Amino acid sequence: MTRRIYIPLILTLVFLALVAIVLVLAGHQVSKTIEEAFSGASDVRTARIMVARTISLQLDEETGVRGYATVRQRILLQPYYSARAALPVSFARLRRVLTDLKMPGTRAVLEDAVRTNRRWVAVVAYPIITFRRVPARVQLRGKRLVDRFRTDLDFVENSLADRANQAQRRAQQAIYGVTLFAIGAVAAVIVAATLFTIQQYRLAARLERTRERAEEERRRAAESRSAYEAEKRIADTLQGAFTQNLLPRMARVLFSATYLPAAEEARIGGDWYDVLELTEHRVLLTIGDVTGHGIDAAVAMNRARHLLISCALVDPNPGAILERANADLFRKASPLITAVTGIVDARNCEFVYATAGHPPPVLLEPGCKPRMLDFGSLPLGVVGDAKYRSHRISSVPGAMLVLYTDGVIEHSHNVVEGEALLLQAVEAAAAWPAHNAAAMISASIFSNRRVVDDVAILTIRFAEDAGSTVGRVA
Amino acid sequence: MSDAIEIVALGGELEISRKREIRDAFTLPDGARAVLVDLSTVTYADSTALTELLRFCVTAQRDRMPIAVVIRTRQFSRLVQYAGLAGAFAIFEDRDAAVAYLNERVKP
Repeated sequence: MTRRIYIPLILTLVFLALVAIVLVLAGHQVSKTIEEAFSGASDVRTARIMVARTISLQLDEETGVRGYATVRQRILLQPYYSARAALPVSFARLRRVLTDLKMPGTRAVLEDAVRTNRRWVAVVAYPIITFRRVPARVQLRGKRLVDRFRTDLDFVENSLADRANQAQRRAQQAIYGVTLFAIGAVAAVIVAATLFTIQQYRLAARLERTRERAEEERRRAAESRSAYEAEKRIADTLQGAFTQNLLPRMARVLFSATYLPAAEEARIGGDWYDVLELTEHRVLLTIGDVTGHGIDAAVAMNRARHLLISCALVDPNPGAILERANADLFRKASPLITAVTGIVDARNCEFVYATAGHPPPVLLEPGCKPRMLDFGSLPLGVVGDAKYRSHRISSVPGAMLVLYTDGVIEHSHNVVEGEALLLQAVEAAAAWPAHNAAAMISASIFSNRRVVDDVAILTIRFAEDAGSTVGRVA
Repeated sequence: MSDAIEIVALGGELEISRKREIRDAFTLPDGARAVLVDLSTVTYADSTALTELLRFCVTAQRDRMPIAVVIRTRQFSRLVQYAGLAGAFAIFEDRDAAVAYLNERVKP
């Protein structure tokens, strides 16, 4: 933004500086031209005065000689002698001025006039003054010489007049040019000032718009943040309320569970699990995930949990539970929900379950590798009449079942790799007779991985002896 | 391949950030009589993308429009199995087989 402010200012200053420099140079040139013109005019004026003076002196010469020739009175020669004394000086000054004015052609004509005057003195004036009788042809020749002299000086006079006119024209042109330039410079300054003002106005308007936009963005961000924080608080509260905190105590079955919220706050979603004692030996298990995040997902999760439990109370067959719940969710246009519902019978280590678009349970039996159980039906809420098959697993004492949500295996976006990690973690956790297998599995997977989505893990371990245990959330 | 078969092709990781692109891809023009969903280069889909795919497949099936889905990567194939698509819709690893399946069903 600083560059935007200074660039027009700098450009305007540079432009004005250039105008000023050109003005100074032009002014200097005009001043020089005018000075030369006036100086030349002075010389020309002097020369023209000298021409007039010379003509006057020559006239005095001629008048004196003519008068003397007529009446023969010596006194009439006075103007002749005066002019004879003054003419060389006058010629010399004219020569100097013409040299200064650099008018060699005119000076040559002046020299011709000087020579003509000398000849007139020699062949006309001198004989008339010296001799009493002078032939008429001398007087006639005298007239021709005087005419030639006058013609020469007229030429000099005309040349000087032309020079005076030229100098005057040059001075006028110079003044005219500088006037035009001054007008142009003033116009340029006005244009530059106008452009600069417009630029400044636009810049100010742009700055104002940017400031208003930034203010608007700040206000929206604050509103979004406020709304987001409010939603997050509500979602966290709902999530906390919905998450099972106490697992049932049962003889011969050990439960453990863990729940990890997404590291990224906005990803907090609708994962849940439930463990509900139906009889002394039978337990209902549900685990699921509502598509989406935030309050809507949390509310949908709550509805689904209660619906599944209600359906289990009507008909505790896992497939039937899912079908009944699905029909209701589809009718109410629920978000898609993936879930596993199962019934555990502690007396014979039996596990009956059904899946709805959810990753399969893992079963680890003593002396065996952990394995994924059968799975595969549409999520709840996709098709109203979807069918869900119940799978029956007859296991053995010491076996462990693991139910989980997709965040457990999709952290790297490679579900095959995620499944392998889960099976390793289950195997490692089962090797320890601990009460917190779910937390151990979670720690094993996420010790050096980011929890990008909610994670819920529920484990059910059939006891190898007759002791009863207490489950807890890690 | 019949002109009546509309092709929907997506690749890479399908996540919520590509929701608009996915929705646009799953919008069929009028006149389509069968649809080939080519997801052969998809390696991952989050629940939002899977939901869009599921709803698209269910809608096509409801409208009695033959639909075939091509899936090749092991990771995405596993996700689709979780979502129950494998049992509900025609899934192929080979595109030609999918086209043949659809051609068979769009014959006049």
